[in-house]
This record gives sequence, structure tokens and C-alpha cells, in this order.
Amino acid sequence: MKRIGIPRGLYYYKYYPFAKIFLTELGAEVVLSPETNKEILDIGSKYCIDDACLPVKVYHGHVYFLKDKVDYVLIPRFTSISAKEYICPKFGGLPEMVRYSIPMNSPIIDIEINLYKNKFNLYKSLFSLGNMLGANPIQIKKAINKAFKTHYVYKKDLLNGNLPAVLIENKKPVKIKTKSIVGIVSHPYLLYDSFINMNLLKKLSGRCIKYITPEMIDSQIIDNLCNELEKRIFWSSSKELIGSALYMMNINRIEGILLLTSFACGIDSLSLELIIRIANKIYNKPIMMLTLDEHTGEANFNTRLEAFMDLVERRQNLDNNLSPYGRGIYCSERNIR
Amino acid sequence: MIITYPHMGEAYIAVKGIFDNLGIKSIIAPFTTEDTLRLGSRESPECVCLPFKITLGNYIKSIEAGADTIVITGSCGPCRFGYYGPLQKQILQDMGYDVDFIIIDPPKENPLDFLHNIKKLSNGKTSKAIKSIYDAYKVCIEIDKLNEIQYYVRPRTKNKSIINNIMYNFKREVLDAHGTKEIIEVIKATGNKLLSIPIDKNTKPLKIGIIGEIYTIIEPFSNLNVEERLGNMGAEIHRSMTIKHWAENNLIMPATGRKGYKMEKRLSNPYIPVLIGGHTQQCIGHAINYANLNYDGLVQIYPMTCMPEIVSRTILSQIEKDYNIPILYLIVDEQVGEAGYQTRLEAFVDYLRERKYNHKLSEKF
Ligand code: SF4
Ligand code: SF4
Repeated sequence: MKRIGIPRGLYYYKYYPFAKIFLTELGAEVVLSPETNKEILDIGSKYCIDDACLPVKVYHGHVYFLKDKVDYVLIPRFTSISAKEYICPKFGGLPEMVRYSIPMNSPIIDIEINLYKNKFNLYKSLFSLGNMLGANPIQIKKAINKAFKTHYVYKKDLLNGNLPAVLIENKKPVKIKTKSIVGIVSHPYLLYDSFINMNLLKKLSGRCIKYITPEMIDSQIIDNLCNELEKRIFWSSSKELIGSALYMMNINRIEGILLLTSFACGIDSLSLELIIRIANKIYNKPIMMLTLDEHTGEANFNTRLEAFMDLVERRQNLDNNLSPYGRGIYCSERNIR
Repeated sequence: MIITYPHMGEAYIAVKGIFDNLGIKSIIAPFTTEDTLRLGSRESPECVCLPFKITLGNYIKSIEAGADTIVITGSCGPCRFGYYGPLQKQILQDMGYDVDFIIIDPPKENPLDFLHNIKKLSNGKTSKAIKSIYDAYKVCIEIDKLNEIQYYVRPRTKNKSIINNIMYNFKREVLDAHGTKEIIEVIKATGNKLLSIPIDKNTKPLKIGIIGEIYTIIEPFSNLNVEERLGNMGAEIHRSMTIKHWAENNLIMPATGRKGYKMEKRLSNPYIPVLIGGHTQQCIGHAINYANLNYDGLVQIYPMTCMPEIVSRTILSQIEKDYNIPILYLIVDEQVGEAGYQTRLEAFVDYLRERKYNHKLSEKF
């Protein structure tokens, strides 16, 4: 039985269930690197090129952990995950970045995921991977179908507000008494890696703040909102963020928006700027950007986060105080503010 | 409609030629200076790549000089450049400038839009516009020749300031020239002036190839005049990408049914088999090509946070070993200090010289 390592970073949060089912169906054993920790981050920063972004460095750390423990490491080349869109050049060059930075004995499986033109390329890649594992075409086809099914269920569960940690890692969902709701705009590998984001989600829950993430918003809604922009956005990663932010700005019960980004992220430098510029014009609730890098001090991060939560809460209290008088007597909510 | 466009090395010469030929009024942005960068970066997102900040500064200066329409080429991914236009437009509008952007996306994205834009720009004289573009391409060919003369002469002459004088005057003369024909004459005349400078034919200068992100290797302001600096240190340089090279591979070849960047793709294939955005394949391809041509060293230049060149750089570390060629990595952004930059270049050139000398010694014995 072949042991295949999957690094717990980047699009692990999007595609792990798919990959796991596909590989185990074909008789491979999947080995996952542990949750991100200090050691993984340090090793990653040591081996990865200095000016890369934090998530890519962390990814290097996960690969380092797996190397030599498994027969192969799965590092797909994500060129494109939806038609006519790319992701980020670093996703396209990920196998190279790792290969030339970390000396390793386990070979890399670097099949290309490229849906830019059509689905054909994806099938081709999956078949070549299946072949390598010694499966026949019928088995491979079956595994693909099953993997897709799992993937759709996973996506649906995310859409319904479940977190990857609950779905993949069987962690217990936190039940909280919700006082207010905020939106978080970020890439999944920042948002769901509690080490990288210094337990952001837990901290929000601790203050009874519920959150909506891009994964909880229907992709059709995101598409529609982005279509209203002047130029089509040709990165899926950026489109998700911009579309989610536009959605969150339009939903009344969302009391504020957090933009969570990594220092040196090329994609975010443009998309978050666009979001902030739009927000400056049409949005009058709290919006704050939190930047992460390997030197971010937790104290500093907490101060900013707390300031944001205070703002959100204060607004909430204000609304609660005023609304009994406001509704019905004065016609619109806007008048009260 | 008063048109302007961003600076990128000598591109203004060719673009000016197009608009001259078409009889369209255009403003050339004042040459890029510290002030341009300051203006641009004040309004830019902090982590955006350097070309964004500089070109934004160019626009602000042009608008203040009276321009109201900005023309740029676009692209649809995968790099940030493709989204420069829309965001810069937003920023300029937020600053209170009323400008129009004409973003010419490559014909393959939307052929009708492409033709429409060309038509809009040329007042309906589409075929004349296409002819002008071709004439401008010829200007680019001449510019490359001129640069190559400069690369040849600079390390071989004692009197570097003569070259600077000639090139300084060239900038003035070329702005006075009208239309591609006159421009080409000025370029040729300048080339002859450079060739008349006395040189020492026996010097065997170091050969250094310049690779990296296209804007920062072409625009001298952004790379702190790296070509001139290296030339003055006695190295004969070659720049892997030029405006001509870009036009040839992105316009001329596709228009005549050929594929661009054949050599680069072939050579880079073992290291990076697909297009990931930016010019990674070109960077790697040229690095290998220079190594095969026995260059003594390479300099990779890219803006801080440049995604594709960060990937290139990791691969280059392997090329260094596989082809036994030293590479200097220069990351540019607005904080680059001139003194440190010069020191690094000097140290690199010294190292290459010593290395070459040792090689020769070991060959002798
Ligand atoms: S999208 Fe940003 S954070 Fe993600 S890999 Fe690319 S540069 Fe890094
Ligand atoms: S290639 Fe580099 S400098 Fe150019 S747009 Fe992309 S990230 Fe910016």
C-alpha cells in the first residue's frame, strides 16, 4: 500500500475530502501533517524563500514534516479551479517552489489541476494519478465519482455554516449565544488555520460574536456581485473575497467586516484595496484589516481585534437601545443613526 | 481627448511614434523621478508591486499636465498587472481626477473589444492604426540596436561620460522628432555617434545577463540604472526582455499565426512546464540561454512581493547549481538605498572577475 502525504496547508481546506476519498478508494493510505505549530512555521520559514507570503512558508513546513515519512507527497499544481480564472501564480508554481527549496527523498506528485478551459484536463490528471497507483480505468472512474460526491457534500456543509475543523477533523462545534454577527473576508488557509490566525475564530466566539466566511456564501451570489464590477476578476481567490465583501456590506444583520490578510500577499494587495475603496463610499459600519506575518505579535493583533469587537458591540448596544423607539415611529433605520 | 500612457523604459519613443503617425494629440508623462514614485505610492496600497506605484505617479503627473485619457495594455491574468487599470482608475477618481482609461486587452481575450479600442483610439482609421503599430515595431528594433551598441561600447571605453552625454541629448532629440520615420533617423544617428567613441578592442569584459520581472528590467528608474552601473564597472550586459521582444512575441507572432516565446518555453520546460503568470518561463529560459552562451553571471531583478518572480527565484537557485553560473538577486522597491545597491553590484562584479581569473588559471595548468 502506498503512503501518500498531504500537507495541511493552502487548499487542503478546500479539497482535502476530495483527495482523501479519491486516494483511499484507490487503495492508498493518506498521511496528513499535523496542525500548524511553531515548529512547522519555523522550519517552513527557514526553507522557503524569504519574500514569500506566510501561508506558502507554512506550507513548506508541512511538506518538511511529511518528507521521508511517506512514499509520495501530494503537491498538486493548481493552475485554475474554475473556467477562465486563475488562482495565484504561487499556486501554479508550488511544486517548483517546494522542490527547489526542500531537499527531500519522497517524490512529489505534482499533477496539474487546470479547469481554465474545461474539465478534461482535471480528468486527465486524476487518471494519471490513478494509473500510478496501479488502478484500472473503471476503478478510477468510480473513485472520481465518489470523490466528487464527497466534495459536493463538503461544500454544502461549509455553505451551511460548518467549519472545516468540524467536518474534517471531527472537532466539536462551538455553541455560542450570539450577540452579533460579523463577516470575515479571507483565504481559507488563513481563516481556518487557528495557529496562523492566532485563534481568531475562538476569540470572536468568546465574545459571543458569530461570523460569516466566504465559504458560507453561495458562489452564484458571489459571481453575480462580481459581474457588476467594471472588469471581470480573473483570479478565483480574489473573486471570492471581493464578492463576499460586497455581499456582507449589503446584509443588514452583519455588523462589521474583518479583512484578514497575509503580509506580502500579491493578490490581496489589490483586492482588499478595492474592497476598502468601495466600503469607504457605501458602507458605514466597522471594517478593519488585520495583517499576519511570521513576526506578528499576538498582543498587537489582540489589541486591534479587540478594538474591532468593541466597535461592533457598541453599535449593537446602541441599536438595541434605540430600536424600540425607532421602528414604526420613524420610517427608516437610517434616520436613527 | 488628450492621451497619455505610462513610462516603461524606451516604450514612450515607440508609442509617441504611433500617435504622431496617426495625428493624435498625446502627452508623454514627465520622465520618472523620485517625485513620481512619491506621488504614486502615497495613493497606492502598501504591498502592491512597484510598477503599480510608479505608473500611478506617471498618470498623476500627466493629468496635471492636461491629459484626460490614459491608454494602457491590459491582460487577463494571471498576474496583478491585469488588474492595475481598474484599480488605478478607481484611485484617480477617488482623488478627484476625471479620467478615462482605455485598456487594450490582448486580442485573444475579446477580439471585438480589441478592434473597437483601436478604432476608438484612431478615430476610425483602423488600418492606418495597424500600419502605425507596425512602424512603431520598427522603431523598437532600432532602439534595441542602439542599446546593444551602448552595451558594447560602455565597458570598452575609458570615457563613460561621453556616452551619458550622447544618451542625454538623444532623449531630447527624440522628443523633438515627429513620426516614426524621423524617430528612426535620430536613433540611427545616435548609434553612429556612440560607435565613433574610441574603444579598446582588446578588453574582454565580463558578460552579465539581466533577467527578471519585465517592467523592472526595462524601466531604468525602477532598477536604479543597473545597466549603466554595470557597464561602468566594466561589464558588458545584455537585457533579456525589451519592448521589441515583447511586441514580437505578443503582437507580431500571434498576428501571423505563430506562437511566441518558443525558445524560452523550450529551455524552461524541465524546470517549469506551464505558464503560471508573469514571465517565469521567460526568466528561466533566458537564464539557461545565457548560461549556454557562456555568460559570466546573471542579475535577477524584481519588485518586492512579485509573485511570479518569487517562484522564478526558487528555481534559479537550482539553475545556479545545474549550470554553474552565479546569480545576483535584486529586489527593488521604494526603500532601496542607493549605496547598498551599488556595493552589492560591485561585490558581485568583483566576485565574477575573480572567478573568471581563477578559471583561466586552472585551465592553464
Ligand atoms: S493568494 Fe496571497 S496568500 Fe495566497 S498564496 Fe497567493 S500570495 Fe500567498
Ligand atoms: S509580474 Fe510581479 S510586478 Fe508584475 S504585476 Fe505581477 S506581481 Fe506585479
